[in-house]
Amino acid sequence: MPKTLFEKIWDSHLVNKQDERSLLYIDRHLIHEVTSPQAFDGLRTNERKVRRPDLTIATMDHNVPTTNRSLPIVDEMSATQMQVLEKNCKDFGIQLFDLHSPNQGIVHVIGPELGLTLPGSTIVCGDSHTSTHGAFGALAFGIGTSDVEHVLATQCLWMDKLKTFEIRVEGKRKNPHTITAKDIILYIIRKIGTGGGVGSVIEYRGETITELTIEQRMTICNMSIEGGARAGLVAPDEKTFQYLQGRRFVPNNYDQCVDDWRENLKSDPGASFDKTITIKAEEIAPQVSWGTNPAMTTDVTDIVPFPSDYARGNPDEEKAAERSLEYMALKSGTPITGITLDRVFIGSCTNSRLEDLIEASRVVKGKKVSSKVRALVVPGSQLVKRQAEKLGLDVIFKDANFEWRESGCSMCLGMNPDILAPGERCASTSNRNFEGRQGFGGRTHLMSPVMAAAAAIAGHIVDVREVDLN
Amino acid sequence: MKSSVIKYDKDNIDTDVILPGQYLKLHDYAEIAKHAMEGIDKNFHSKVKNAEFIVAGKNFGCGSSREHATIALSQSGIKAVLAVSFARIFYRNAVDGAFLLPIEIDENAYKNISDKDELEINTEKNKINNLTKEQVYSMKPFPELIKKIIDAGGLFNYKP
Repeated sequence: MPKTLFEKIWDSHLVNKQDERSLLYIDRHLIHEVTSPQAFDGLRTNERKVRRPDLTIATMDHNVPTTNRSLPIVDEMSATQMQVLEKNCKDFGIQLFDLHSPNQGIVHVIGPELGLTLPGSTIVCGDSHTSTHGAFGALAFGIGTSDVEHVLATQCLWMDKLKTFEIRVEGKRKNPHTITAKDIILYIIRKIGTGGGVGSVIEYRGETITELTIEQRMTICNMSIEGGARAGLVAPDEKTFQYLQGRRFVPNNYDQCVDDWRENLKSDPGASFDKTITIKAEEIAPQVSWGTNPAMTTDVTDIVPFPSDYARGNPDEEKAAERSLEYMALKSGTPITGITLDRVFIGSCTNSRLEDLIEASRVVKGKKVSSKVRALVVPGSQLVKRQAEKLGLDVIFKDANFEWRESGCSMCLGMNPDILAPGERCASTSNRNFEGRQGFGGRTHLMSPVMAAAAAIAGHIVDVREVDLN
Repeated sequence: MKSSVIKYDKDNIDTDVILPGQYLKLHDYAEIAKHAMEGIDKNFHSKVKNAEFIVAGKNFGCGSSREHATIALSQSGIKAVLAVSFARIFYRNAVDGAFLLPIEIDENAYKNISDKDELEINTEKNKINNLTKEQVYSMKPFPELIKKIIDAGGLFNYKP
């Protein structure tokens, strides 16, 4: 019987099956300072060891400062959380890329960068954006701290078998520099809703997806969780194999692995998905979120919607839109391009990779950030930062009055000092526009790196298609 | 289980409003609990003194995988969240960590239950008795293995 890519990975990792749940073997466990401390407490209480410290890798990203790292950390609680991770890694024999490591970075940026993310493998991490790694054809999903403890102790996880959801993106984008992977995924979430993928793993397929670079596929898979899906997948291809070639942690028999991946890691012709939708790439314009969840998104050429138009007869949706507009302090009918900004954030596990920074720098080059805006670039990892600096991107951003920071999650989730003040409005390349996500009372507009860069220069949201891309 | 309800007439209550990111630095459960629902309801702590159930709409707990969200609710005294649907990671965290019961209800029950209603929940019979309104609703039964993990008191106490 023809199988989907998901079913192939699932079946090859099945340890045991009981009732409707399956015990799944986990090939790689990534941990960070925020969702692991209680799990290690649990191990100690029960006198358990880490079953496979060699398959477990740690970094610090969520609450690390992005300013000068030779200075002491001001926030004592963050400093403690980092010290606790250091101690846990030392006590349990886990490799840690700490604050001062040349490999430190956002866990979903460094995993692929180090070749820890392999096609056909299972990857978990105590972070919902673990779906990012699906861009390599890995089954990767976020887990909570109890499950982190369970994986540390057993290297396995009980799972309900996920449903399969095929999203085909067909055709060609009008301009891949202005209609980016971020616009594709925001458009998809807008279509399927925040709960559209609940209980599913999405496999992204079709001409447009095939044409994307690996980093762009990561942006797509990253936000699968915002559509409610547990994981996103793209079948690996030559681009994937080339991307991973020679990276630090790939297996010694890499060529042999590639032969196997090339042969097996794709959905068979005729394999059936529980659900399928098709998106036409030529219909996608630059996307901007106006509300307080990622599905509350529209074209940049559009207006802030009237709740009744948005809700299409659903009173709950109408109420939600009203509340969102109130929180966002937006008036229906206002053109999206008229929205003025206080802050711009280019970063996060969604959009902080080298290609994101290269694209954004093209918009910024030779221009200045609006005097009304404070703008921030936070590279996803130390490696991304070094590569960008080699290309001179730091100079382009700094000349334009962007702040050029050290790597981390930063303003995506408001855990470190990079936060919005109440009422501040931010164009952000991150993944969540929830109330208070970037700081209490902060207002987030999600968009692509080129859109955010253009908005920083103009001081308000603009259509990047009308901007000179150097 | 018998207690009264805190109702949020809203879908997509995300983990960032249940426990805002800045409190993920906290380690102590009691400290985490002090900030439960801070992003959505400043009066949560006065309400939770008299109520052990939350009722809400679709996709409760969407967003981050932070188990701190379930810890914050549970440590505040919440014993069950009744929602039309749950984000899966939240659901798993609730069950695996034995923090609270994630109970799926239908639209009709969601619409009919009001803030401060007194409910009696029977998870053996999958019935919810609204003592205030004298109505009975059914809850979606827990899948078999989930039920076993709940009965065992969490994933680590469960012996297959």
